[in-house]
Amino acid sequence: MGTLVLEGLSKRYGAATAVDRVDLAVAEGELVALLGPSGCGKTTTLRAVAGFVEPSAGRVLIGGRDVTRLPAHARDTGMVFQSYALFPHMSVAGNVGFGLEMRRVGRAERDARIREALRLVRLDHLADRLPRQLSGGQQQRVALARALVVGPAVFLLDEPLSNLDAKLRQEVGLEIRALQKRLGLTTLMVTHDQDEALAMADRLVVMEHGRVLQVGSAEDLYERPASPFVAGFVGRCNLLPGRVEAPGLFRTEGGGALPCGPAPAGPGILALRPERIALAAGPDGPGVPARLSALTYLGALTEYHLDLGTGALVAVAPTPPPEDPRRRLRPGDPVRAEWTPASARVLPPEAPTGESR
Amino acid sequence: MAAFVLPAVLVVAALLVGPMLLLARISLNRYSATDLMVEALSPQNYLAAVADPYYRGVMGTTLAVALLCTGLTLALGFPAAYRLARMESRWKSLVTVMTLIPLLVGNVVRAAGWMGLIGNDGLINAGLQATGLVSGPVRLIYTPGAVVVGTMAVVLPYMILTLASVIESIPRSLEEAAANLGAPALTVFRRVVWPLALPGTVAGCVLVFILCMNTYATAVLLGGPQFKMMAPAVYDQFSKGMNWPFGAALAFILLGATLALTVLGTALLGRRYAR
Amino acid sequence: MTLSRRTIVAGGAALALSGRGLPARAEGASVVVGTWGGDYGALLQQNIDQPLLKPQGIEVSQDVANNDPRRTKLIAERASRRGSMDVACINDIDSYILGQLGVLEPVQESAVPRLSEVLPIFRKPGTIPHIYSAMVVLYNPAKVTTPPTRYADLFDSKYKGRVGYSDILYSYNLAGANLAAGGPMGDFAKGKTALLDLKQRDVKVYPSNEALAAALKSEEVWLTTMWLARGFMWKSAGIPVEAAIPEEGAIPILFEAGIPKNSRAKDAAFKYLSAMLDPAAQVAFAAKMGYLPTVRDARLPPDLARQISLTEAQAARLNPLDYAYMQAQQGANLDFWNKEFKA
Repeated sequence: MGTLVLEGLSKRYGAATAVDRVDLAVAEGELVALLGPSGCGKTTTLRAVAGFVEPSAGRVLIGGRDVTRLPAHARDTGMVFQSYALFPHMSVAGNVGFGLEMRRVGRAERDARIREALRLVRLDHLADRLPRQLSGGQQQRVALARALVVGPAVFLLDEPLSNLDAKLRQEVGLEIRALQKRLGLTTLMVTHDQDEALAMADRLVVMEHGRVLQVGSAEDLYERPASPFVAGFVGRCNLLPGRVEAPGLFRTEGGGALPCGPAPAGPGILALRPERIALAAGPDGPGVPARLSALTYLGALTEYHLDLGTGALVAVAPTPPPEDPRRRLRPGDPVRAEWTPASARVLPPEAPTGESR
Repeated sequence: MAAFVLPAVLVVAALLVGPMLLLARISLNRYSATDLMVEALSPQNYLAAVADPYYRGVMGTTLAVALLCTGLTLALGFPAAYRLARMESRWKSLVTVMTLIPLLVGNVVRAAGWMGLIGNDGLINAGLQATGLVSGPVRLIYTPGAVVVGTMAVVLPYMILTLASVIESIPRSLEEAAANLGAPALTVFRRVVWPLALPGTVAGCVLVFILCMNTYATAVLLGGPQFKMMAPAVYDQFSKGMNWPFGAALAFILLGATLALTVLGTALLGRRYAR
Repeated sequence: MTLSRRTIVAGGAALALSGRGLPARAEGASVVVGTWGGDYGALLQQNIDQPLLKPQGIEVSQDVANNDPRRTKLIAERASRRGSMDVACINDIDSYILGQLGVLEPVQESAVPRLSEVLPIFRKPGTIPHIYSAMVVLYNPAKVTTPPTRYADLFDSKYKGRVGYSDILYSYNLAGANLAAGGPMGDFAKGKTALLDLKQRDVKVYPSNEALAAALKSEEVWLTTMWLARGFMWKSAGIPVEAAIPEEGAIPILFEAGIPKNSRAKDAAFKYLSAMLDPAAQVAFAAKMGYLPTVRDARLPPDLARQISLTEAQAARLNPLDYAYMQAQQGANLDFWNKEFKA
């Protein structure tokens, strides 16, 4: 296992730029997830690492070696494809052994390593089956074993869970994560699913329009988003445009005055997570007065839509116990919303470019 | 359902099976110069055809041309089909149509075009002589090579389109997976693309082989009078020699040989790659 | 006749599949003429269909094909109630074969009044003679300095590799070679031996008359046996050939027309045959294609007549084919030509 470094990686198709000067370093044994909406360049980036896409500019380094001009078959990456891409005319053992054959591993050793890899994914009893005789989850595990058995320097996962049903998704995700940690695999993963990324990755890379918006741990991105896009893409977030008038005072475009964290005066966007808003029933008391416009009972949680008169907010809170006065709230009732100033971050109005923390 | 299939079945029965049965019947009759043919039930025409070294030679030529054309067409068609199958969508339809365009021209017209190209006073010879490279015309037309090239030009689109549709059905990701696992391009082809394309390759080869075995216009027009393949030989017996029974027997020998080789080839290739 | 009606009908059905479809036939007075395309078909339209048949209210459509497919089609259709042709243009060998097979309706002067003007030697029971010519030696005067006088001159070893034949005229070529070798019209054994000798001297065979013409033009070959009429056309078209009427006695070629017994428009068809014997129409064929009229009252311009006619002495020495022999040997001659001579 080695490190993976991308330096100024770009890919242009004619006038369109799919990947725009991406810099990234994946440490040994680290799992980094590329996260973003479809068309953001995350898949192109992954394919450039694998060697399926030739970059227009920039470098790819694996274990310190520049592989930018190496063909795919000489790169020593192990990729799990979204569609699994199992060879339909080969048995499970044949699929898993293919990479070993390419590396001219002798028959006896090859058989032993195939068995070991299949045991790792708990499929050693299905070695002679053809891929079409396996379930989706089993095929996924064969694809994992096939990529792992050659001991690649970098492990690549392309939307590894997207073809699984919702129940399996979490289980397989955790299984992959456990395997990755146990084997210390340097891993780059692509996903459009933030839950998947938050659950599996050491660090996340949020991309949009081919550019990296922010790199950081799940907590970094959630607690300290650098841009409104990241704030909205990772978790839910109230985003209110306006300006900082005085320290701790944010004036929304509608004219409302809201408490905010430390920020220089000037235009900005107030980012406030729905669960950081504390709600109290009744018109009198501390907090920002509002009117309840709608509420949705979600079991453990309840979602409140608030009309501030000058704007709207969504708040989410654990559903209060039955005796709580908030349980008797109905649309139209007056309420008060409160939050600590530090919870209300003021973000620059335009998305910044490049890496930031 | 049966009611919808019936018209097609009737058409095939009326236009194909019926005449074939009658032709089979005629092939057992005896030739007569004065009465055209005499009713009989004799294998004599078949025996005579098989025993005659001339027709053995004609069959040998036919088989050689058909096998060579099929092999060369496969060799030329596969890379082209691969490129077509893996092409971006906006170019693909254009190239597919361009592949089809030769099929809009009849075989006779096409062979006539070849004659204008490779004839003794055709374009190529005119060009060669104009450059002074040769003093007299180079013999291109009326050679077996001309027939092979001319026939390939007819059947290549069939091969390319058949192969392209099969290759298209092989996900690109399988090739990427193989490359990712360390397989260079040729190995990817040998271990992944070729075995997965094999059923379609067999289908394309069978189609092309059958077309080549029945080459008529190209053989006559580009092969010249000395070059004989089976289809023109059948025609000669019916039209020139007026020996219908013998012509019918030759037709069935051609049909039988084509069928036998097709079945044999399919079975051999099928078994080799069956798992 | 030992062949059942059923088999023949069936054969016709099978054959019809491989050929072209039947031409559409308008109701009323209309005839379908099975003919060659090219100049011949065009001349029929210009000199017979338009000026002679149309005024009589007869619509003419052509079923264009070569001689052999047309003969095969006529035989295949002979037991059908309704044939695809009302008039069939055929050569003299096929005229005999089709007559023997009972395909053609007898032609009498009562139905075709113009028959009275036909040269007596060309009168046949089932057809009218349309035009004729003779097979001569065509040679390139620049290359063949001593003008040939006989069919046998093609066999001179100094013309090694310079003799070419048209494949489709194999019967006539064989007959000419036989005369050259001194064989009788009823036995081609000597002609076959002579051709096999010629094969040793690198004789060329071209798939069509047009291909032969191209080879003569490019001077790839210098000599051939061909219709005098074709020689006239080719010379007019700038191909370097002269014609020599062979002293052995030229073989005549006669293009005829008959009416299949299963024609449904026989009255109109007989009118068509009569029109084909029109002197002006025949002169038009002579002027364009070089074939001679078969009727006494056709008058050729003297200059044209000089180029395409035979002298009386040459005409008297004509060697007509032995049609019975040609029919009996149809298969054997083809086999010899394909399997021994060309192979």
